[in-house]
Amino acid sequence: MISGLGRLFCGTLLASAALSASAFACELKIGSPAVLSGPAAQWGMALRGALEFVAKETVEEKRLVVNGETCTVSVVAIDSKYTAEGAASAMNSLAAEGIKVIVGAVGSPEVTGMKPIATRNRMVAMVNSFAKDAIGPQWPNVFHIGPGPSGWAGPIIDKGLELYKFDTVSIVAPNDQGGTDIAGVNAEIFKQKGVTPTEEYYQRGTTNFAPIVTRMLAAKPGAVDLASSPAGDAGIIVKQLRQAGFTGPIFRLGGPGTEEIGRVAGGYNVLQDFLWFEPIAMDDNTKALEEKHIALMGKPRPENADFFRWVYAARMMVKAAQAAQSVDDAQKIADAMRTLPVDDENIGAGHWIGQKFFGINQEMSYPFAIGVIQAGEQQPYVRAEAANEG
Amino acid sequence: MEGFIATGLIGISLGSQYTLLALGFTLIFGILGVVNFAHGGFYVMGGYVAYYCSAVLGLPYVVALLIALAATFVLGWLFEVLILERVIDDHQATLMVTMGFYLVLATGILVIFGAESPEFSFPISGVWRVGDVYFPYANMVVLGACLAAIVFVFWLVYRTNVGRSLRAMAEDRTVASALGMPTKILFPFAFALATGLAGLTGALVTPILALAPHVGDPVLAFSFLTVILGGLGSVTGATIAAFIVGLIEAYAAVYLGGSKGALTLFVLVLVILVIRPQGLMGKEVRRA
Repeated sequence: MISGLGRLFCGTLLASAALSASAFACELKIGSPAVLSGPAAQWGMALRGALEFVAKETVEEKRLVVNGETCTVSVVAIDSKYTAEGAASAMNSLAAEGIKVIVGAVGSPEVTGMKPIATRNRMVAMVNSFAKDAIGPQWPNVFHIGPGPSGWAGPIIDKGLELYKFDTVSIVAPNDQGGTDIAGVNAEIFKQKGVTPTEEYYQRGTTNFAPIVTRMLAAKPGAVDLASSPAGDAGIIVKQLRQAGFTGPIFRLGGPGTEEIGRVAGGYNVLQDFLWFEPIAMDDNTKALEEKHIALMGKPRPENADFFRWVYAARMMVKAAQAAQSVDDAQKIADAMRTLPVDDENIGAGHWIGQKFFGINQEMSYPFAIGVIQAGEQQPYVRAEAANEG
Repeated sequence: MEGFIATGLIGISLGSQYTLLALGFTLIFGILGVVNFAHGGFYVMGGYVAYYCSAVLGLPYVVALLIALAATFVLGWLFEVLILERVIDDHQATLMVTMGFYLVLATGILVIFGAESPEFSFPISGVWRVGDVYFPYANMVVLGACLAAIVFVFWLVYRTNVGRSLRAMAEDRTVASALGMPTKILFPFAFALATGLAGLTGALVTPILALAPHVGDPVLAFSFLTVILGGLGSVTGATIAAFIVGLIEAYAAVYLGGSKGALTLFVLVLVILVIRPQGLMGKEVRRA
């Protein structure tokens, strides 16, 4: 009996020792409410792919050393379903796991749902979202991975006006915050450029857009902007617009996803004349990043070009943790982030902006590109400089 | 006027697709008393089988359609015999089992094919156009195929001995069994016919819209809405309701906009159900 108790005691001691060893191991856990299902899944997969890549890169290249100890990085991605409640639920699960560092989510509804939980649980977050209130002083530790259409829609519309003649545009988007915020900003910028906009909204979950397309074309627009319609929806809209006889240029001022839009629509020859925001300007440095992804992960990068922006964001978060010398003190990491220059070894340098639009200088801005398809043929990307408030 | 006609064509096209989906849904409820939450899953599966056969294996689209129909028919048969039949008398269990099967189907497709939409186009392109009235040839073919399938289902249900047996079982399962009707074959057949219709619709419609693992969610919602409006278990009611839903959806979206159109549709359905809670053609009490 005594011998049995002794064995139990020793076992407990050993287990405790093992547990404390693992508890003190240096590990940066990056949580992510990422949309992994539904029409917007392509965006979430780009986010998750970027995080997994940066995690592996950081470990392999020993990029994160805290108090002399080389840290590991792990990623916990939970499907946020592109909804506020999905993201809130994902954030609560991440908080329950003690995760303090968040990269994601992708869309405005998700970011609206996650910000209060990030703030309440003292997390530091790097989010996307093109919403008018994506970041703000009330969420001091929430950073923004890049400008929304307010930063880049103007140069893309200018390019469209240079290539095509039109003075009216029909903007189509889902009828929730993920659509209305972006469509509203786009409409304002079109107006500034002398183009009269009309806005059309649809219920998320719509599968056949023929009636909405008929309504849009009744106004005889010279151009169409798909705004932030998810790629799957946007592909059907383009297909049905062209079937209905629309021949004008189509803008996509709401995020990348042209490959999927083209697949759903039936090819680039259906897109015909198409302009979109491409998050980064592809050059030899970004191609090197693609090759590095293949070498490290054994497969090509996720298709959606938002991958690059999330790599930028995740690397900045790792740099901030390194500068703060902490993997779980969100306040220290956020403070360190504010002092870091906006810079990435592959994507290039930029600057912090956001004071003018959001009231807080926590938005990263870096060079981007304008994608153009003319007569069904993809043209070389047009490089555009980082948006600047100064 | 041309816009009005063009919208009507869109509404009829939508109505025929909703009819095919709703017929399967209402057959299963009418005969088995089961609300099949896996219906959207069979629609998606039909789309992916057709895509795999035509785009990956290079088979002619018509052959791909038949394979999609056969695959969803067989899977429906197996699901009814192996899983659903065991819990058929427990309504809550049938809800859980069909919902679970939908999740398994959708997730399985997600794992195999990925979350992104593949390139799956209808083999016929081009648009018939007179002034502002237009109708894509692909939609014409799909409309024709849907109407043919609807006629076949009506013929089967109302003009054949199999149909008479199915209707007898829908009326009173116990008496029909006592009279010697082969319920062990007819129940799985009815379920498989419904899932085959869903699979056929998926194979026909996804190339003209989009194919992705999640496209079954709205299908389930619209099938449910249509069948409730038509009267649960009523084949004729489901058909009438499907065309009403399609036409209201089209006209409301064109003349009121996407958001108000959806609102109008649901408000109208609500009003009809307040006036006739049993639906357009439903019975007040279901006896089977």
